[in-house]
Amino acid sequence: MITPTIISRSILIAFVAFLITVPWLIPALLNKFWVSVIAEIMIWSLFAASVNLLFGYVGLLSFGQALYFGFGMYGVAIGVATLGLSFWPAFGLGIVAAVAIALISGIFAVRLTWHYFAIITLVFSLIFYFFAVSMKPLTGGDDGINFSLPPTFSFGDAVGSFSSANFQYFFILATVSLCFFLMHRVTRSPLGKAFVAIRDNDVRAALIGLNVFQLRLIAFVMAGFLAGVSGALFAFFGRYASASYMFYQVSGEAVVWAIVGGAGTLFGPIVGTSLFIVIRELVSTHWEHHSLIVGVMAILVVILAPKGLVGLWNDRLARWGERGKDAAIRTSLRTDP
Amino acid sequence: MTEPALRTENLTKRFGGLTAVDSLSLSLPGGRLHAIIGPNGAGKTTFFNLVSGLLAADGGRVFFHGREITGLKPHEISRLGIKRTMQIKSVFPQLSVAENLWITREAAHRFLHPFRATSRDQDTPERVGQTLEQIGLTALAQRPAGTLSYGDVALLEIGMALISEPRLLLLDEPTCGMSPAETERAVAKIKQLARTIDVVIIEHDMSVVFEIADDITVMAQGGILASGNPKEISGNELVREAYLGRPEDEDYIDETVHA
Repeated sequence: MITPTIISRSILIAFVAFLITVPWLIPALLNKFWVSVIAEIMIWSLFAASVNLLFGYVGLLSFGQALYFGFGMYGVAIGVATLGLSFWPAFGLGIVAAVAIALISGIFAVRLTWHYFAIITLVFSLIFYFFAVSMKPLTGGDDGINFSLPPTFSFGDAVGSFSSANFQYFFILATVSLCFFLMHRVTRSPLGKAFVAIRDNDVRAALIGLNVFQLRLIAFVMAGFLAGVSGALFAFFGRYASASYMFYQVSGEAVVWAIVGGAGTLFGPIVGTSLFIVIRELVSTHWEHHSLIVGVMAILVVILAPKGLVGLWNDRLARWGERGKDAAIRTSLRTDP
Repeated sequence: MTEPALRTENLTKRFGGLTAVDSLSLSLPGGRLHAIIGPNGAGKTTFFNLVSGLLAADGGRVFFHGREITGLKPHEISRLGIKRTMQIKSVFPQLSVAENLWITREAAHRFLHPFRATSRDQDTPERVGQTLEQIGLTALAQRPAGTLSYGDVALLEIGMALISEPRLLLLDEPTCGMSPAETERAVAKIKQLARTIDVVIIEHDMSVVFEIADDITVMAQGGILASGNPKEISGNELVREAYLGRPEDEDYIDETVHA
């Protein structure tokens, strides 16, 4: 019998199979350009997942995640261009920089909640945005830093380079998948349940003995990690870093992606990000006001499906599963003598 | 003499010009069920908020089995074994009933594992099952707590207090909003609880108070008006006055007498 679990599993398997075959499938069906669009979608999905971890699981709406994305990006760019690091050390520098700044700003930010939290995260990212713009010798300001790829990097015996499109694609796929897998594990762990408890009722959470401040800080640093990884990947992907990616508009886009896709669900950020980036790529060449579509869709989803597209789908699936159960009971009753 | 379970010295809390709790010195020995009663605004809930750390006191000290807990954070006080329920029922609405109990028990552990699946835990689910049966919510275990009736939420709160194995339990109007049948079940549960743990209860339903309390403290305007066993309290003239008003409020007395 077909159950909701089987449907969800089949969709997941089909999705994974699709992602693995993209480098061959897409050039055959469309063209090579879309392979890099899909790679970009994966990176931005990870960035939206960072917003989702904070908002969907801990109840903190951050409008400043671009700050940690930017640190991941600059860590890589400065590591390669200025310090002459090879691939892994530069990657590591980007992530460490993002996590470190998340820890420092988090200590201040997670004392606040709701709109105060949203405002302080926004202010932090604006401060560092203006720093990045004004410190031209280090960051290149608005022009950013262009760098040439570290020639090769090795992982055990395997040697690869981002100059190979397929290698670049699979490296991004593997890294993003690993991060989503970790997030999946966290949300199902005792720590993840504690996050949700704090999201639901922080006073009660403190009364049952949860250290609300500490747990929010842990979530904030984890979110900084996810944003940092996505920023570092994006730097390698685009071969440059720029202060413009630290602007609050970038943070805001991730908030929209996460909410439209479904905050508090693992795949929500992927669905939201895919939808909007595909629309952007399809429409922007023909019509410059493509963000209008984004706005209208965001409003519609927030009104009609407050749990986002994935939340809507999950509810439908659950209701369908319940109906299936009822039907089974009725059938068995009818066959009774 | 052994240290009382809960003792306060000149505990004071002011909200602007209003002194909600006014140099309250209270000593509640262990092993007895204490009820705190008093008219609205007497400072009962504020007293609970001070003990559980939700509010910081403006003056005075709180001791739990002789250990000073003044100024500790709510989660630190909770981990010492002081658990409480809220007057306005407070659970995790989007978690299921079972998950509410589960996280309450798990929160007592200092380390929340970040990657292990929750289903790998053996001991906690067993305790969750037992507690569900004790509070009679087994049939509703998978329902989100936010969809429960008010009485069931109150029972769930008691269950959450139970599963955390407190040393001192503060119940703030536990039967408020319950049906008579639910009240009966909750009262039986509280009586049974009080045999093994120290319970302090704030309650407005006098029939409940006089049925279960060993000692009663009457609060009024942030201070103690009277304390004693139920018999002494019911005969106390000051208490009658605080509840029914002064003799000159003739109409009020008439109303209550004829009600």
